[in-house]
Amino acid sequence: MQKNFIQQLHPLTKFFFALFVSASVLIIPGFIFSFLVFPMLLLIAVAAGVAKEFFGTVMKALLFLLIIVFFMQLFFYPGDHLIGQWGIFKWTEEGLNYGLTLTSRILAMGSVFILFFCLTEVRDFVKSLEDAGLPPMGAYVVLSTLQIIPEMRRQANTIMDAQKTRGVETEGSMLTRARAFIPTLTPLILSSISSTEERAITLESRAFSAPTKKTSLHKLTKSTADRILPFIYLIILLGMVLWRILT
Amino acid sequence: MEDTYMNSIIEMKNVSYRYPVSDDWIIKNASFTIEKGKFTAIIGNNGSGKTTLCNIIRGFIPHFYKGVLEGDVIVDDKKIIEYQLGQLGEKIGYVFQNPFIQVSGVKDTVFEEVAYGLENLGVEENEIIDRVNEILQLVKIEHLREKHPMGLSGGQRQRVALASIIVMNPDILVIDEPTSQLDPIGTEHVFDIIRLMKEKGKTIILVEHKMDLIAEYADNLIVLNEGEIVLQGPTREVFADPRYGDCNIQYPHVTEVALKLQKNGVNLKYVPIRNEELPESISWASVGESVYD
Repeated sequence: MQKNFIQQLHPLTKFFFALFVSASVLIIPGFIFSFLVFPMLLLIAVAAGVAKEFFGTVMKALLFLLIIVFFMQLFFYPGDHLIGQWGIFKWTEEGLNYGLTLTSRILAMGSVFILFFCLTEVRDFVKSLEDAGLPPMGAYVVLSTLQIIPEMRRQANTIMDAQKTRGVETEGSMLTRARAFIPTLTPLILSSISSTEERAITLESRAFSAPTKKTSLHKLTKSTADRILPFIYLIILLGMVLWRILT
Repeated sequence: MEDTYMNSIIEMKNVSYRYPVSDDWIIKNASFTIEKGKFTAIIGNNGSGKTTLCNIIRGFIPHFYKGVLEGDVIVDDKKIIEYQLGQLGEKIGYVFQNPFIQVSGVKDTVFEEVAYGLENLGVEENEIIDRVNEILQLVKIEHLREKHPMGLSGGQRQRVALASIIVMNPDILVIDEPTSQLDPIGTEHVFDIIRLMKEKGKTIILVEHKMDLIAEYADNLIVLNEGEIVLQGPTREVFADPRYGDCNIQYPHVTEVALKLQKNGVNLKYVPIRNEELPESISWASVGESVYD
């Protein structure tokens, strides 16, 4: 896939952007600005060519949460200015305001981090952290987890098949399938633990703990934009804080 | 003999080993010397302790696996206990048996997978690329270079595992059944690579069950039986030793045939271990008299 300008930015630049947006929605009061963040992020996503993926993930991950949070605040936030009532539920102006503020912030912060992961490959991000001083052990843990998950899924299917040949019922009603889950889980966990040992030996035979500084074929470059953008974020943030203090 | 002793690179003196929480000694009082630049094959039946012996040579015992290790293991004039595990990675390459776990799990292509060991050793980037390209060519897995290591077949993984180790250019190679998942052509090929490594002056320790190939390539043999070294020495002498027959381990096919012939009265000038030796090893004068008896 050809990478465009936004995707080519250094992972840390994108990460700082996510932090910047999160901080700014906390600084600016009210919900109007925070709600405006999402359409802006959507525009960025469109420009970067990940709009579909971004929008889909936000809907799946956040929509339900937002609805729940909004109604919880609306009904249960203490306040005096009653706007409406339905049975035992009553809602107040304070509740409405707070609900909107909270949801707008969750939406802004949640979607900016979702956008970050849409734009950044995890291995690039981990590499940038490693460049910034994360020990290789930590980087390994993060990266291997990503690869191990599909591997474990494959393993789980194999175990499931093996149990099927031994007569464990794995198909049918919800209850049957739930019951079949337990005899699958134990071997899966045990085999994962035992493969950890072998994995450790594999790494050792590749000189993982060699007492030298590692090199890497995977290189990240910093463009001019990557050097300037973090400062721009910082200046805008400072401006916002000043504006809050002065007004 | 004194000369070769001077060149010993691995030496074991009365080594015994017991895994944690086990009462049985897996290796019993093993002593041997492996000479520098020689190709030594460790053979024995399943469960005779071959892999454990490899782990001892590589230092995973006692550095990784606990348990009780008695006796001295000396690699390059230094006791194995005095090494740090990380230091041994550069010195001894270990390709182990199960090809399915021998992937780092953090790399997305075979090329990067093979390069991983060099990255860990801190080799400069351009050199890594050159060396990996060279090894991919040598092991004939160039066509796999952009494939995902987790998506390979057993035989392909076995070759990738071998490549990942020899690219690090260790002085000693410990290879545990590298051909268990390979077809005959792939097997020949792996042995070709091993021979090439030997020509480069590497010391090779190989665990293998394919006796015909061992007879062709190995200089020395160590025969293990239930944790004890029952025979050791030059390949030809070990196969010719009558005690070898008692161990219940397979002979090279041609040796088996020759010994059967001998039993039936055919005199042998010597015990053949390679196919092409069979005709000349038989004392044809004796055949005429005995064959119709």
